[in-house]
Amino acid sequence: MTKPAPWIQILLAGLGAVLVLFIVGPLLRLLFKASPASLAEALRDPEFSQSILLTVATATVATAIALVLGIPLAYLLARREFRGRRLLQGIVDLPVVIPHPVAGLALILFLGRRSPLGAPLAELGLEFVSHVPGIVAAMLFVSAPLLVSGAREAFASVDPRLERVARSLGDTPLRAFRRITLPLAGRGILAGAILAWARAVSEFGSIVIITYNPKVASVYIFDRFTSFGLNAAIPAAVLLLVLALLVFGAARLLEGRELR
Amino acid sequence: MIRLAGVGLRLGEFTLRDITLDVPEGGYGLVIGPSGSGKTTLLEAVAGLAPVSTGSITVRGQEVTYLPPERRGLGMVYQRYHLFPHFTVGQNIGYGLDRHRMSVSERRARVREVADALAIADLLERGVRRLSGGEAQRVALARALAPRPSILLLDEPFASLDPSTREGIRRELERIHEQEGITILHVTHDFDEALRLGDVVAVMALGEIVQQGRPEEVFRHPNSPFVARFIGAANVLPGQVTRTGPAGERAGTFAARFTSSDLVLDTIAEREGQAHAVVQPEDIALSHTPQASSARNQFRGEVVAVERMGPLTYVHIEAGRRLVAALTTASVDGMGIAPGSQVFATIKATAIHLM
Repeated sequence: MTKPAPWIQILLAGLGAVLVLFIVGPLLRLLFKASPASLAEALRDPEFSQSILLTVATATVATAIALVLGIPLAYLLARREFRGRRLLQGIVDLPVVIPHPVAGLALILFLGRRSPLGAPLAELGLEFVSHVPGIVAAMLFVSAPLLVSGAREAFASVDPRLERVARSLGDTPLRAFRRITLPLAGRGILAGAILAWARAVSEFGSIVIITYNPKVASVYIFDRFTSFGLNAAIPAAVLLLVLALLVFGAARLLEGRELR
Repeated sequence: MIRLAGVGLRLGEFTLRDITLDVPEGGYGLVIGPSGSGKTTLLEAVAGLAPVSTGSITVRGQEVTYLPPERRGLGMVYQRYHLFPHFTVGQNIGYGLDRHRMSVSERRARVREVADALAIADLLERGVRRLSGGEAQRVALARALAPRPSILLLDEPFASLDPSTREGIRRELERIHEQEGITILHVTHDFDEALRLGDVVAVMALGEIVQQGRPEEVFRHPNSPFVARFIGAANVLPGQVTRTGPAGERAGTFAARFTSSDLVLDTIAEREGQAHAVVQPEDIALSHTPQASSARNQFRGEVVAVERMGPLTYVHIEAGRRLVAALTTASVDGMGIAPGSQVFATIKATAIHLM
């Protein structure tokens, strides 16, 4: 490939720079907008700290459920050739393209007290709409695709012959999976889980519809903004942003190590 | 003992059809064929890693066709080692011992014993990522041998190794094969391995066995141009057979003339018409002057290339057809054969194998 002319290179670099600035600019502006005093005040507000705790707890539960339900599915998608595999893959990825409020409405219809599934669950004391399980359900819906695709890629990167060698050495399929494939795919699965967790933490659109109260952090920020204005929402927004950046950094670090 | 009877299967793009193969107890079976012929799939079928749809597989008198791999007691070695990257060399070798009821010290002793036999005892504590190809293949062999399998399956075990490493591992494999009396089924695309190691050789093409027998026999009498070319018989000539004389000594044979463009050879044939002739390079003699003999084909040729391979030298000549003759390097030097030399080539009628 020959190098393009210098002015084209400058133009292309300039275009990229505009986009990078557009991403970094608002975030930096927000980070430096909040004074340390206002941050400390936000942290002292019990409603805010409760919303952070609720967000972290529900996102963790949603990720744990996604792990249990998603790992076998991811393995199936990575290893087996079967009719309808592409369709199944498409279904798993579907939540990515569904507008979040639409997902929230669909979840209400599916899990609400009067729905075929929601009614018996409510009898058992598991209520979703306006309850904490609704938050978990919404988070699971939007974050599971990230975990499944991360785990699927991690499984696909493990040579299936390693498992076959383990089988020839006396392992049952489950034992070979546990001793060989799972540990080798572990880092990729963990990276997928962290991304899914971060996605769950940042979810707003579907949660605000299914469970406004108790408030997760994103709903809390929205509530501050609509009730008290921009400045009242900034300290909480900054703290949530810092949390998101830390998680993102951890996930990137894991992925980087995998490439070593 | 491994016996495959009419084995057929379909796995993705690979198909095996009617595979029938016998490797006697303690024997060394080789399956050779070009890549894509289904050799690895055949090994995986024996190991239980590829589901068989027809036929049966018997190992040591026990039918195992539908037995899962972990209950077959076979060792498997792939071309690219496939060591477990998250374990040390020692852990890799000991992997298959975990299911055997063994104390920690028995286990350690067995790992060391196998590692000693393959000269890798000093690597036991090392990780597997930085091993050389030869070391990695020794570890893979040790891992397969440690649980004392009755049968060892080898998938191109030498193909990724440089020649000197290959030679060392091959010798050790021969020694282990003899000492332990283990039955081996080995697939390769290299016919030299078959000549050296195999008791039984089967040639595969497109999922079928096209010829099998003792390696010498297959080498001397390939049953098709495909087999002949594949096993590296250098002279495979397409041509026409015409009857020239009365019935020969053996029933059904007669004296005939084989014509391949400008080359005409007297031979013994069983049928007329289109045929291929195979002539082993060692069966073509070269000389400066005509040899006095009536029972031989003799013709002039010009030397076009001289290939020295240690004690043996391949001389390529143009004689209406390109032919390759194998001579000792000493006699090539003695005769002063070089590109451009005019020579007489002589082939015994009985050395021409028609098919």
